[in-house]
Amino acid sequence: MQDMNLTGLFIDLMGRLGLNYEFLATGYEAQIWRDGFITTLYLVAVTIPVSLIVGLIFAACLTSGRLWLSAPVRGFVELTRNTPTLVQLMFSFLVLNTVVSNMVGGAQNNPLSPFFWVVAVVGLHVAALHAEAIRGGIEAVPSSMIEAARGMGFSQFEILRYVQIPLAFRSSLPAIVNGLISLVKSTTVGNAIAVSEITYASIMVWTQRDNVVEMMIVLLAFFSLINFVVARVGSWVERRLAIPGYGL
Amino acid sequence: MTASTDAAIVKLEDVHLSFGQTQVLKGIDLTINKGDAVSIIGPSGSGKSTILRCINALVTPQSGKITVAGTRVDQLTKESERIQLRKRVGIVFQQYNLFPHLTVLDNIVLAPIKILGADKTATVKLARELLEKVRLSEKADAYPGQLSGGQQQRVAIARALAMKPELVLFDEVTSALDPETVGEVLWVIRDLIRDGMTSILVTHEMRFAEEISDTVVFTENGRIVDHGSPQQIFHSTNNPRIRQFVGGLSGGGRGAVRDGEGI
Ligand SMILES: Nc1ncnc2c1ncn2[C@@H]1O[C@H](COP(=O)(O)OP(=O)(O)OP(=O)(O)O)[C@@H](O)[C@H]1O
Ligand SMILES: [Mg+2]
Repeated sequence: MQDMNLTGLFIDLMGRLGLNYEFLATGYEAQIWRDGFITTLYLVAVTIPVSLIVGLIFAACLTSGRLWLSAPVRGFVELTRNTPTLVQLMFSFLVLNTVVSNMVGGAQNNPLSPFFWVVAVVGLHVAALHAEAIRGGIEAVPSSMIEAARGMGFSQFEILRYVQIPLAFRSSLPAIVNGLISLVKSTTVGNAIAVSEITYASIMVWTQRDNVVEMMIVLLAFFSLINFVVARVGSWVERRLAIPGYGL
Repeated sequence: MTASTDAAIVKLEDVHLSFGQTQVLKGIDLTINKGDAVSIIGPSGSGKSTILRCINALVTPQSGKITVAGTRVDQLTKESERIQLRKRVGIVFQQYNLFPHLTVLDNIVLAPIKILGADKTATVKLARELLEKVRLSEKADAYPGQLSGGQQQRVAIARALAMKPELVLFDEVTSALDPETVGEVLWVIRDLIRDGMTSILVTHEMRFAEEISDTVVFTENGRIVDHGSPQQIFHSTNNPRIRQFVGGLSGGGRGAVRDGEGI
């Protein structure tokens, strides 16, 4: 009841300012809208780690010196960097997803949801950006340091794990944070394949209510807030990992 | 496996190595006994570093036999086998190459713990002992970027020793240092040799080489031109090239040589 009163108060207050948030008092639209926030946050929370882990693996492949690892990743990175995410998503959902459906004997057996495809496409797209940044950092580790590690009996993987990635991650952190900020924004492509994230939900509401401005205000504030948090966490990590006396 | 029964810990026999078209080693023969200190001197580009790299399998020669602590290094075919060898042979380079993101202590314990799988507590204890030995106990928690070159190089030596190597290779470990800090690094190496560590040093510190070496080896153009006791090489050689080289270096104003003796 307390909740209803607060909502009512908010609607009333906004109404006096000329802003129409009356849909909040309805069950259905308000529910879609609230779920939209949750879906977007959920998308962001899942896609960020996916992009980081895949980005790291991509960077490792690119710098492995093995053509069978680097060539396919290089091809993928170029493709994904140079084509629109929206087109990639359409292609994945309309073509790849259909192929999967046919393979498993019909769409009803296909476990891959539109949500999955947004995570995969946006996650891999941003992973490609991360990979380029991390690759630069890996290649910047002086060859004499790598030889010293080899001389102590480090394997190529152990050098990557204990020396190159820790250094490369630090030097590429600013670029990675930029990638994550664009990741947050890119999750909105989900609305093209009916993933009910916040833009999709907002469009649903404003087509019924004709309150585009009101929905936009919240939408912009919401994404600004998420990315504010991403940037703050980024600079916190940067400070945590800063190496005393080292000019990275 | 007979090699391990005699005193030789390193034996190179007619080792030839080329990088592409460039012949770098043109038949190296070298025998080093356990507990010996051997200095390799010679002009730039004569193959000194390459000899060290052959000994711990960082490079593989085209022909010749290399035996290190009972292992036929030239016959190792897999990288994993070479890694096993490298764990037993320490090497320290001119550029100290400490891991900049780790503290001094972590630099020392990383490889023993992660690569050898040594016990953590015991390794940390060993690392602190080694830091004491190189007189850097108070720097355990510092980062490499906060240390002078000489201090970093001493940490690099401690890091190599933490692997409990059977021999240690030093490749011009004082060449990148300010003259004032050369002495403190040589001091550490001298101590190590006195403790009986088998050591092979590529060095331009002639006074130091003369003082600590059991054998001095002179390389030129991919060959060992002469070898013998420090007395022989530095004072009674008939080879005009060696006389010129040794005279040129110790006579020339290399402050490092002066500092090397001053401790
Ligand atoms: N990885 C490599 N690829 C090609 N050539 C190399 C490589 N490493 C060394 N060389 C060449 O081999 C020759 C011997 O090199 P090496 O480093 O063993 O000489 P050095 O005696 O240690 O010289 P310095 O006193 O300058 O260190 C040089 O001519 C060098 O240019
Ligand atoms: Mg050299």
